[in-house]
Amino acid sequence: MAASETPTRPRRTDPTKFFFIMPAVIWVLLFTIFPLLYALYTSFFSFRFGRINQFVGFANYLRLFTDANLHNGLRVTLTFVIVTVTVQMLLGFALALLLNREMRGKSVLRAIMVLPLFATPVAVGYLSITLFYEINGPINELLRALGGSGIPWLSNPFWALVAVIIIDIWQWTPFVFLVSLAALQGLPADLYEAAEVDGASAWQSFRSITLPLMTPILWLILLLRLVEAFKVFDIPTSLTLGGPGRATEVYSLFTYRTALRFFDHGYAAAQGFLLLFIVSLIVALLFGRIRSIYQEERS
Amino acid sequence: MRRRTSPVQAILIGGVMVVALLWVLFPFYWAFVNSIKKPADTFRSGTWVPFLQFQPTLEHWVSELAILEIRQALMNSTIIALGAATLAVLLGTLAAYALARFRFGKSGNANLTTWFISQRILPPVVVVIPFFLIMRQLQLLDNVFSLVLLNATFTLPFPVIILSQMIRELPQELEEAALVDGANVFQAFTRVVLPLILPGLVATWIICMAFSWNEFLFALSLTTNRAIPMPVIIAGAEHTRGVQFWFVGVRVLLTMLPPIIFALLAQRYIIRGLTLGAVKG
Repeated sequence: MAASETPTRPRRTDPTKFFFIMPAVIWVLLFTIFPLLYALYTSFFSFRFGRINQFVGFANYLRLFTDANLHNGLRVTLTFVIVTVTVQMLLGFALALLLNREMRGKSVLRAIMVLPLFATPVAVGYLSITLFYEINGPINELLRALGGSGIPWLSNPFWALVAVIIIDIWQWTPFVFLVSLAALQGLPADLYEAAEVDGASAWQSFRSITLPLMTPILWLILLLRLVEAFKVFDIPTSLTLGGPGRATEVYSLFTYRTALRFFDHGYAAAQGFLLLFIVSLIVALLFGRIRSIYQEERS
Repeated sequence: MRRRTSPVQAILIGGVMVVALLWVLFPFYWAFVNSIKKPADTFRSGTWVPFLQFQPTLEHWVSELAILEIRQALMNSTIIALGAATLAVLLGTLAAYALARFRFGKSGNANLTTWFISQRILPPVVVVIPFFLIMRQLQLLDNVFSLVLLNATFTLPFPVIILSQMIRELPQELEEAALVDGANVFQAFTRVVLPLILPGLVATWIICMAFSWNEFLFALSLTTNRAIPMPVIIAGAEHTRGVQFWFVGVRVLLTMLPPIIFALLAQRYIIRGLTLGAVKG
């Protein structure tokens, strides 16, 4: 074969590289780029009941500005994203700082923290119907035992959104915790020893060593959480079906209903691109801050 | 790793740990304990400890597993998870090797990697409409095959990222030695590289299975009857059966136990996978 003439290493220009890379490239072109283009095409038509009616130009995009239900979906999603991601970041990082020390049972703790991440979100939402059940659900029973009164979790618009948010916090705080803990354990121990020799307080070494070194990782975690949170669909769909009313009808659920309940494919496609735009904007804004992580990788 | 822990701190930390563990584990225990209660016991309070406070029963497990619809859904979920993960790992391993060992132009490798990662950023609801229309055209609606293809696509970043990093960490001398001995690039790949990355490869395959098993939006949009997997069964159940705690417990556990077991098996690689290679864990 070609490589047999005094080869030193797999030659970096060897055309066989295309054999290795092309299947995946073609696959992604076929299953994401093509559907994206098809969605773009769809978004310029009035596409009722799966049939192209007519070219409507930007009409579907213009509807985005005036649709009160869509704005509701955006508002619900933004509230959800801001509250869940803030709480998850603070709680997860604080917990990681607190538990970043030699202690027994650490690997068991880590294993347990993995469980929520992989618990099927729809199943978690469905289970939560019983957790938040108003009459004899365990959460209200606990509140009553503590002397409070039960909360109308799923029938009140405000509390329904709170319930969805609590479940997401339950599911994803461990992610922030696990990644932060892994990163904290990778920090150079000798820096801390030097700081201690110099008489730095715990707070000082946190401020001047831990925080600066952790900043890129924290940005990365924030980016991943934001992107994931904007896509939220499973939990509100299974826990509250977007209700009561539209109190928990998040963006993806509204778009899903536009497309597959009302078969308004053209408009749903335009909605999808608005969400893609928002998510891409977040990535563009934050990517600069995390680039350093990946550059170390390459060098 | 630093500073002594005082007894007060130790108690504080212990307390936080206990609260965190209770918080994380409670929903699982709640599902389990309800799944083995007789219906009447789910309405009584103070039924937390089987045998002491109530007589447990396996009748709901037995009756649920006898339902044809559930068996079909478990089977569909298994096919989707296995098929998608295998496909993703197959395509991903090849691409990972290419990215780790060859150069694609000046910054081609970094760009290709970013391009593969961007799959996980794309909101699925953007492409659910075209997929629905395309699959209808291909007569693949309500067919597990369409979900195998889609889940393979959306889990592809995991093998690409995790395995290309693993291959980069291998000493290149091993492949060089094989080439000197007259092997070609394919042989160097299959006989030298593959065995060395096998643990990571299996772990990645398992992670892909877990994600494919849990996927809901595409499954909901593309299945109507025969091809319905577990997550979709669960989402529809509330409306036909109302809220029966024992029944919720069984179905929830049937759905979430496989991915949870997968995750525990692949624990070492999970952080790396979930952070798209940025944190090794």
